[in-house]
Amino acid sequence: MSDEMVPPPPTGTTALPGATQAAPAPPPLAPPAAGPAPVQAPAPSTPAALEVDHVSRWYGNVVAVNDISFGLGAGVTGLLGPNGAGKSTLLHLMAGLLAPSAGRVMVEGESAWRRPEMYRHVGLVPERETIHAFLSGREFARLNARLQGVADPDAAAARAIATVDLTDAADRPIGTYSKGMRQRAKLAGALVHDPRILLLDEPFNGMDPRQRLHMMSLLRTMAAQGRTILFSSHILEEVERLADSVLVVYAGRLAAAGDFRSIRRLMTDRPHTYTVRSSDDRRLAAALMADQSVFGAELVSGHVAIRTADYDAFTRTLPRVARDAAVTLFEVRPTDDSLESVFSYLVRR
Amino acid sequence: MSVMAPLVEVTLRGLLGRRRTILLALLAGLPVLIALLIRFSGGRPDADRILDTLVVRTVMPLVALIVGTAAIGSEIDDGTAVYLLIKPIARWRVAASKILVAAGLTSVMVVPAVVLTGLLLGSRGGDTATTVVGYGIACLIGGSAYAAAFVALSLFTTRALLLGLAYVLIWEGVLSGLLAGTKFLSIRQATLGLAAALGVDVPGSEPLAPAVSVFVLVAVLAGALALASWRLSRFEIRGGD
Repeated sequence: MSDEMVPPPPTGTTALPGATQAAPAPPPLAPPAAGPAPVQAPAPSTPAALEVDHVSRWYGNVVAVNDISFGLGAGVTGLLGPNGAGKSTLLHLMAGLLAPSAGRVMVEGESAWRRPEMYRHVGLVPERETIHAFLSGREFARLNARLQGVADPDAAAARAIATVDLTDAADRPIGTYSKGMRQRAKLAGALVHDPRILLLDEPFNGMDPRQRLHMMSLLRTMAAQGRTILFSSHILEEVERLADSVLVVYAGRLAAAGDFRSIRRLMTDRPHTYTVRSSDDRRLAAALMADQSVFGAELVSGHVAIRTADYDAFTRTLPRVARDAAVTLFEVRPTDDSLESVFSYLVRR
Repeated sequence: MSVMAPLVEVTLRGLLGRRRTILLALLAGLPVLIALLIRFSGGRPDADRILDTLVVRTVMPLVALIVGTAAIGSEIDDGTAVYLLIKPIARWRVAASKILVAAGLTSVMVVPAVVLTGLLLGSRGGDTATTVVGYGIACLIGGSAYAAAFVALSLFTTRALLLGLAYVLIWEGVLSGLLAGTKFLSIRQATLGLAAALGVDVPGSEPLAPAVSVFVLVAVLAGALALASWRLSRFEIRGGD
């Protein structure tokens, strides 16, 4: 993907760059979506293995995924968003487990919906923790290998179990596994047929730091071998450490897409609001307003609310200004720094 | 068949959990237990009535209901069905495997109960062999039809157990007795009709004609497979958000 964020297109129905075929524009989404035009993801640098073309999915009046388009080639892509953003719905659409209400999902050039043959090349690790508790990890991997029609299921299962570092517990019933071990068993099941495309829904849930590092290293290696890997997470740091590129989803919409640094910059450079309590709020507000990094200061009972567009400059300026004005700072608190508000900002942008 | 083998194995292992197995064994053992009590208390031999009332009308549909609704319904409920549906397997094969297991397990539970009960009590008319073979074959096919229907039902509703129970108790137990014209919509009546065609003296009202009985049972089996395959080919699994 390119280093720069792609600006929102003038209309929401532009064909996806790099798509195998330009589909006719789908009918307008019902119910109609309000808000800014959807973000257009940059074209993948390698041929797109996965294409999501103006896809929407709604349940009755609830829109879970709203006119999302992107294409993915080889590499690791993070699907970032808060809980309830529509990440799992999007992954299930790509895995052929849900039919799009509008638009289309293509896997290696063919529709993902109602095409079981595509699972020869696709592996999925669902978010739901449940897994056949009466099977051992090895039996589960072997079952998956047999269902995939792998020539030597025993060898494939042993290899997948070793890959996810589960050999020691492989013959114990899955019912006795910890959450992290279940995650690895699920991954082993998804790897037995050596898929070209891997979809992982919150794969690091329940893993301890060592397992997490191992999994990240494994996914990086697999991506370097030319596989297309998409994983969802609501944790920024996970995505930052693993993903080459990022898709940010919020409230069913694609809020941003591109390489991680660009999105990080967007998140950092957005307007920030701080609550500051000091020994003299009025004098501090007046002094801060003289600084270029601050574009708003409002006296509220008991504190001053400050708005800044330059996070770095403000955090450097505030102590100096307070010292020069002989004001003692009691409390400095960002009021809009939750991931929710960051995602919300990206959507409004 | 090679792809269906692991489907059959995992379904069987899932179905034969400890509690469900005990429940099924108790249900299937009930007519045998009653036959033993009648036999050793010096009661009059009447396998026909016990097999009709207890096995065909009660035990067989209940066993099929428990097994049929759980064969894939429990996997949908607990989320493990996704591991079967993300495989390069035609969905009709998944449906056929589930029906095969449900029908097989129902037969394995019910047919031995028919044979033991029949042999312990003996036929009222004197031809025990005809009664045992007739009811045995009828229950093999009738139980399979029930199981297949309940497998298909579990793909359309999460309340398959409740709806199946209502079908057995209300539709078959009450309405099809009151409304003679609806007999052909009853798996139980078709099972009894088949038993009658095989020479069994079925108590009660006039059974369905042999051809109609066979047609109903085959139609239920084929229809259940077709419906389950159709439903599975369009089956959606929602994400967590």
